[in-house]
This record gives sequence, structure tokens and C-alpha cells, in this order.
Amino acid sequence: MAIQELELKPAIPASPLTGFWNVFRKNRMAVAGLVMLIVIVIAAVFADALAPYNPRSYEGVQAEDIYKPPSAQHWFGTDDAGKDVFSSFIYGARNSLIVGFFAAFISIFIGGTFGIIAGFYGGWVENFLMRFTDTMLVIPDLPLIVIFVALTEPSLWNIILVIGLLGWTTTARIVRSQTLAVKSRKFVLRARAIGAGNWHIIVHHILPLVMPILVVNAILVISLAILSESTLAFLGLSDPLAISWGQMLNFAFGRGAMSVGAWWALVAPGFGIVWVVLALTLLGNGLEQVLNPRLESHHLMRGRLTVQKEAGETPSRSAFVKTPVVLEVQNLSVEYVNEGKPPARAVENVSFQLHEGEMMGLVGESGCGKTTLMMAVNRLLPSAGQIVGGKVLFNGVDMATASDQELADIRWQGISIIFQGAMNALNPVRTVGDQIAEAIRKHLPVESEAALEARVVELLELVGIAAEHKDHYPHQYSGGMRQRAMIAMALSCSPQVVIADEPTTALDVMIQAQILELLDELRRKLGLAVIFVTHDLGVVAEMCDTVLVMYGGVTAEYADVDTIYNAPRHPYTQELLKAFPDLSNPEKRLSSIPGYPPKLDALPAGCRFAPRCPLAFERCKTELPRLHETGNGHIVSCHLVENQ
Amino acid sequence: MTDDFILEVRNLKKYFQAGRPGWFSRRENFIHAVDGVNLQLRRGEVVALVGESGCGKSTLALTLMLLEEATEGSIFFEGKDITHAAPKERKAIRQRIQMVFQDPYESLNPTQTIEEIVTEPLIVHGLSLEANQRRQRVVQALEDAGLKPAGDYLHRFPHQLSGGQRQRVVIAGALVLEPHILLADEPVSMLDVSIRAEIINLLADLRRARGISVIFITHDLGTVGYFADRIAVMYLGRIVEIGAMREVLQDPRHPYTQALLSVIPVPNPRLRRKRLILQGETPNPVNLPGGCRFHPRCPLAIEACRHTDPALTPISASHQAACILLQQ
Repeated sequence: MAIQELELKPAIPASPLTGFWNVFRKNRMAVAGLVMLIVIVIAAVFADALAPYNPRSYEGVQAEDIYKPPSAQHWFGTDDAGKDVFSSFIYGARNSLIVGFFAAFISIFIGGTFGIIAGFYGGWVENFLMRFTDTMLVIPDLPLIVIFVALTEPSLWNIILVIGLLGWTTTARIVRSQTLAVKSRKFVLRARAIGAGNWHIIVHHILPLVMPILVVNAILVISLAILSESTLAFLGLSDPLAISWGQMLNFAFGRGAMSVGAWWALVAPGFGIVWVVLALTLLGNGLEQVLNPRLESHHLMRGRLTVQKEAGETPSRSAFVKTPVVLEVQNLSVEYVNEGKPPARAVENVSFQLHEGEMMGLVGESGCGKTTLMMAVNRLLPSAGQIVGGKVLFNGVDMATASDQELADIRWQGISIIFQGAMNALNPVRTVGDQIAEAIRKHLPVESEAALEARVVELLELVGIAAEHKDHYPHQYSGGMRQRAMIAMALSCSPQVVIADEPTTALDVMIQAQILELLDELRRKLGLAVIFVTHDLGVVAEMCDTVLVMYGGVTAEYADVDTIYNAPRHPYTQELLKAFPDLSNPEKRLSSIPGYPPKLDALPAGCRFAPRCPLAFERCKTELPRLHETGNGHIVSCHLVENQ
Repeated sequence: MTDDFILEVRNLKKYFQAGRPGWFSRRENFIHAVDGVNLQLRRGEVVALVGESGCGKSTLALTLMLLEEATEGSIFFEGKDITHAAPKERKAIRQRIQMVFQDPYESLNPTQTIEEIVTEPLIVHGLSLEANQRRQRVVQALEDAGLKPAGDYLHRFPHQLSGGQRQRVVIAGALVLEPHILLADEPVSMLDVSIRAEIINLLADLRRARGISVIFITHDLGTVGYFADRIAVMYLGRIVEIGAMREVLQDPRHPYTQALLSVIPVPNPRLRRKRLILQGETPNPVNLPGGCRFHPRCPLAIEACRHTDPALTPISASHQAACILLQQ
């Protein structure tokens, strides 16, 4: 197949590590934590070289050295035995970190194993492991640790073991829930279909996706382990020969540092603990943000508005439908602003007219700017998007420059939207009737509760839902019914224009047919103007009066439905039609359009369809074609039309 | 048993427990997901399995993959009963029956490279253990699936590919094992119309070049005409009509098939026609209607339909449908 030649050549293969680092270093919190941690780890590792004195040796210690304040000789002063606090601080870092890391390793290992096994196998295995975990979780940690340590030899390794063996419970719970989530994903089923066994699936499919959470969790567990060790040492339960920060606190406190005012003997180890815990917390939180990025701007925030220019070219329009115009879009252009990149033109110079009772199909592949155009019409662009030119006239009001108050009046009462995948947009804990009532209450004055309820019932019946389903919850509705409920909600304030954004995409053919029939009937009954956004040309042919074909953000072709299907002039429309299965000729081989639509931040220089166009010639590569009107309002943006 | 059939399904049933109707009831409810399916697949044949959500077509596929244990009935693969195969045998069978899933965005592990994804089946089955040879098979599978040159894709991650390309990766992952049967569960329903054709053509080419038998599961009769030799229409766990592609498309005999065909959009506004839109949705398969399971929604239902559950009736040598009206 020659298809792939046109596809994007891959960029330098990005290894996951470089990708991770690139995001990580932009997170200031995580980098600060990492630097703080590295500083203390280096101090601990090179303690022998860095510490000015040997903390175990009493060589050269004199009686007057006891609790001497900080000086050039002893940066952090001296302790009760006249030894250098700074040296103890550095050696203490070593032991505190050893306990922290090893104990955390044990906890993570046990918690991770329990969590994955419980989540993956489920059933009695899960029950047993998780009940055990719950039991461990409710036993107060510290008293238990104190008892264990008191019963065993006070050695560093015993401390590590005890802290590690008791600190795994939260990890187990977190890992189990993540494993449950990963296990239900389709690629795990695919791995099973390939013939993979449980062990293979755990190692290759579960573990890599649980790992990020495990890493973040590990970092927090380390800081908890360091805190536990300090507490134990402070209580005098640690190895008296191993210097750690907790041990330093214990000695200083027990040997009268407070009463002689030797604050430095307490502050130094305290500072060490705070430093490490803070470093780990910063790193942990930062990592979580890096590994688990959430959307920063809400998709439906009101877009910024900068109408910069009046576009020059306005092709004359003749009505395909002889009713009054309700919505007119003139030369609309929309840009997305991306930090550090040139703005991406998502919609360029698009114009159309919508008449009362007209159904217009807005057609194009994914990523052709259909949804952006509709969001711009309603001024619901995400915050990075802005209208940079053109007008959106709804009953004479320009939506592109309207005030917030005007917009609030027009939205839902003038123009309403049935969103893509909207049937999942219902609130699961409120009844459907309640949610429709809320939509009405928000926009219209309500005379009485009874009137409101009557209106809700009327709306539900209008979309073919019996009144008794009013008080049901969304989960009691089927997919088709939920979509009907969303249509009822869109109609709740009697709009003149309804934008239906792929309203049937996730539905079965029969339910799709029901919904389309309903939309068609409503438009006839209520005189609604409908914009039907879809990538399915068959549906458009069945339903629409006019069709706007978009490609790469521009109008490829705009005409009445018969012209689009029987005399298309734009090669893109022609190719789209060829790709559509035609049951009347089932043995014909389907053709497909090689390649993919252009990325909006990397548009080709000339005609946007040129790289995929079978008829492209030299001029197409350099010059964006004008919108040509070929008579009767038929608009085509193709150089070939001009030549004819 | 004729060797002509690579796969034969006899009276296959798969029920799921759905709890008891009441706390103290002894009777248990069952979801009759697959309820007595008979189907034969010839070598190199493409059978389209068509029906709405909830008709049991996906459960049937999972049962054929031995990912779900059949409740009743038997599955024969290359003449051998595999219904209750031992785990070792299952693994060997899975090498021969591969599956392509509906959602190419979900069915690839986002942390694996394309090479790892396509190599994985070989490792699982301990095939081509020599690195060079393995790489060669992976490259071959990717190119057969239309990802050319394969070198461009090996080190990429799923999120760097488009939906159509991802579905090709899923297909390559199945092809690398050189299966005899491909179960494609709605492989194009999540893709743009313009890309659907590519994937369907790819499957058609593979069948031609490699002689793979395909079961193509879909809710859209419109996409199957191009591709299938036979069409089987499922409703509530049963096959209600089965026959040669042309016969079913041009002379559908079951009212359900007729309705399904009538709602397929025709891409020509001059051919707008009356559509036969069934109201309501597929009833839930816990409480099956008595008599013919389709009668509550059937526009042609007569009194007899309430009592008699019709069996498949031959209409021609290569066409059967289950409707009382055909028997009279």
C-alpha cells in the first residue's frame, strides 16, 4: 500500500526517560526537592571526608568544650561530651537516611506485592490480604513499634526491620486500587487473548502502570520512616552506638542541653529532619504532578476575545432555504495560543448561513476544526482559543463581541448544544427530571413548581420518554434514553438553534436511527434550525438540507445536500464519498483517503488538502485557494474550480 | 464432522449469574448472553456477525477465544473439541485464534513501544527466540498490517500514532503468530469513516494473501457488504438469520434483518426512503420474552409469535432465517 508514504516521518524516537526528564525539570517544586535531597545524600555518603572531627573519638576534647556555642571551630557548637555537633549531624544523616531508605524499601516491597496480588487475583485472595491489611492499619503503629523494639536488641537493622514491616499498609491499599483500575483495561484482555499467563501480565502490563504511583508513594514512605526512626531514637530505643538525628536529640534532651541553653544541640538534628522530610515531600508532590498531569484549563472556559481585523473576502451567499436567517457566521477565524509557539489557526475564514427549520451538516474528519467552529459560535472556546476575526450574528447580535450578559441570554435560550458523548454528562446522583428542571430554572423565570414540573414532563414526552421516568436516575436509563434526555435538556429553554455535536456516535445503528428520526421530527414540529456535526456522510445525506465540508480549519465545500452528493467539486468531498460504503454496490472495493488531516500547528503552505489530494498540482503546494462561488451559493475552495 | 470447517460451534450457550430476584428466593436469575448458537466457519471464509449491543455477539467472541467458559454446547477447532481444553492446550489454541478489539486507544499498553507490543506474542509463545529472527517476524507483521516502512514505527509509542495506525498495530500483534482465525470485534466502529475503509481493505487483503478465516463482529450492516462471504444476524443470544452475503443484503427474510438494513444511511439524498425504525431497545437478556424473542418489537408479529419459538428455516441452500411467517 502506498498510503504510508505521506504519513509523518517519526521524530527522533523519544525515550520515556528523556520525556520524563523534560517535564520533570519544569516542575520547580520537584527540582527543589531533588536538589535538597542530593545535598544531604552527598553529605551522608562522604561523611568521612566532610566531617571536620570524628564524632566517636574523644581525642583532644577538653572539659571546657562541653556545650560550647557555635564558633568558627565548631560551626554548630559542641555537645554534652564536648564533641563537634556539625560532625555528628553529618554522620547522623548517614544513619537516618539508611534507616529511611531500607525501611521504605521493605514497606514498598510488601505493600506493592500485597496490593498487586490482591488487586489482580481478586476473590478470596483479595479478601484475605485486604482484611489483613485493614487489621494492621487499625493497630496504632507507634506503640507497636515501641514494643517490638523494646523486645529486640537495639540495633539499627532491627529498627529498619520493624519500621519496614509495619509501614506497608497504605501502600498496599493504594497499589490494590490502581491494580484494579489497570486490570480492567482492554490491553490486559488483549494480552490474555494473545495467550499470556498471569505472571507475564503482571510483569509486563500491570507493573509498568502501577510503578508511577509506587514511586510517589515510596518517597513519602521514606520520609515517614525517617520520622519514625527519629521518634524511636528520641525515646531511647535505638542503637546507642549508631549516631542518628533522633539519637542526637535524645542525648541533648536527656543531658540537660535545654537547661544550659545549648539550643544548637537540639536545633541541628531537628533541622536535619525537617530538611529531609521537606525535600522528600516536595519531590513526592512534584513527581505526582509530573506523572499524573491534570488538565490545567477547563475546556469550557470563556475564551479570550481579540477581534483583530475584518476579513476581506466575503463570498456572496444565496439562500438554499427560503426561510429567515437565524444564525449567520461571517469570515470567522479562531486561533489557539500555545506558549512559546506561533498561534495555531484552528478555523480560518469560515462563513455560513442557517435558516429557520434548516438542518445543516458540518462534515469532516476528526481534527478538522468542526468542534472548534461550534464552540466559537457559542463563545465557549477553551482559554487558549480566541476568535481573531469575523462575526457570528444571531438575530442581529454579534456573538463574537457580545457582552457576558448578552451571551448568557443567548446561550441555551437562543442556541443550545447537544454535546458529543453527552449521555455520559448526566449527574449520576440526581434524577433526570431534576436536572432538566435545573436547566430551565437557570435561564428562565419560573412561575411555580407545578408549572416547572409540567414543563419537564412535556419536554420528556416530546423526546419520547414516558413521564414516569422523570424521577429515575441516569443509571436506570439506557444509552439511547440518556441521549434523548440530553436532547430534552437542550430544548428546555425553547432555543431557535440546536447544535448537535456527533449526537449518535457511540450508539447502535437502530438507536441512532431513532435519535435521528426524533431530531428530524422536532425540527419540523418546532421550526428548529439544527447544525449536525458528524463525520458520517450517510447520516447527512438522510437528514440535512445543506452541507458544510471542513478540512484543516477551512471551508472545503459548502452547498445544498444534493449538490454535495451528486455534483461535488472539491476533491476532498469526492474522496470522502468514495470512502463511504454503498450497499447498493457491495462488491466494489472501498477507497480510502491516504494520510491524515494536517496538524493545526503544522499546516502545509498551500492548500491544506494538497498533500493528500490526488489532483494536486504545483500551485496547490504554494497558494491557499480562495473561496470560489460557482453559482447558486455553491462555494468551493480549490484552484481547479478557477481553471474551469 | 467435516474437515472443511475450521471452526464449528454447536448449540453454544453462555449464561452469567445475575443474582436472585429476591432475598429469600431460591430461583437464580441468569443473563442469557449466548443462548444456543450454531455456526460453521470454513477455511478462508469471512463471516460477519451482526447485531445491536446486548445481542451477545461480543460474549460469543470471548467464548470462542476460550476467555469465557461455555455453559453448554461445544466448540470444535480443526475437528477437535476444544470447549473444555486444558490450560496448556488453550495456550496452543490461542496461537491459532487471534482477536482484534474494538477500541485501539484502549487495547494497547501505553508504556510499551510498538516493537515490544508486536514482539510480546512471540515471547509468550516461546517462538523465534533468536533476536534477529524475531525482529524479522515483527517487521514482516507490521508491514503486512500496512505500517511501512516498519522501521519508522518500531520505537514509537501508541500515543504517537493515529487511531487507524493503532488498529494496524493491534492487527500486526495478531498476525505475528500466524493465526488461522481472526476474530475482529467491531474493529472499525471507533474510527473515522475515511479510515474505516483502510482497515476493512486490510482485512480483506490478509484473507486473500494468507487464507485467514475471519469472524467480523459489527453492529453496522453497512460495512460488512464489502468484505463478508456470509452474514449472521444475532438477536438476544441467537442467530435469527444467516446466509450468503448477497442473499441476506438483497433479500433479507427476517423482519429484524429487514429493519437493520433499512436504517443504514444511504449516501445519496436522492435515495431517501422510508426507514423501518424499531422502537425501544433490545430487551434485557435476563427475562426473555416467551415465544419468538423478537415479537415484542416486531412490526409483523402475529398471535402465534407469542407462543412459538421459531427455528432456523432453510430459504435456499445458502440462506436460513428463524421466523414463523416463513414456515407458513
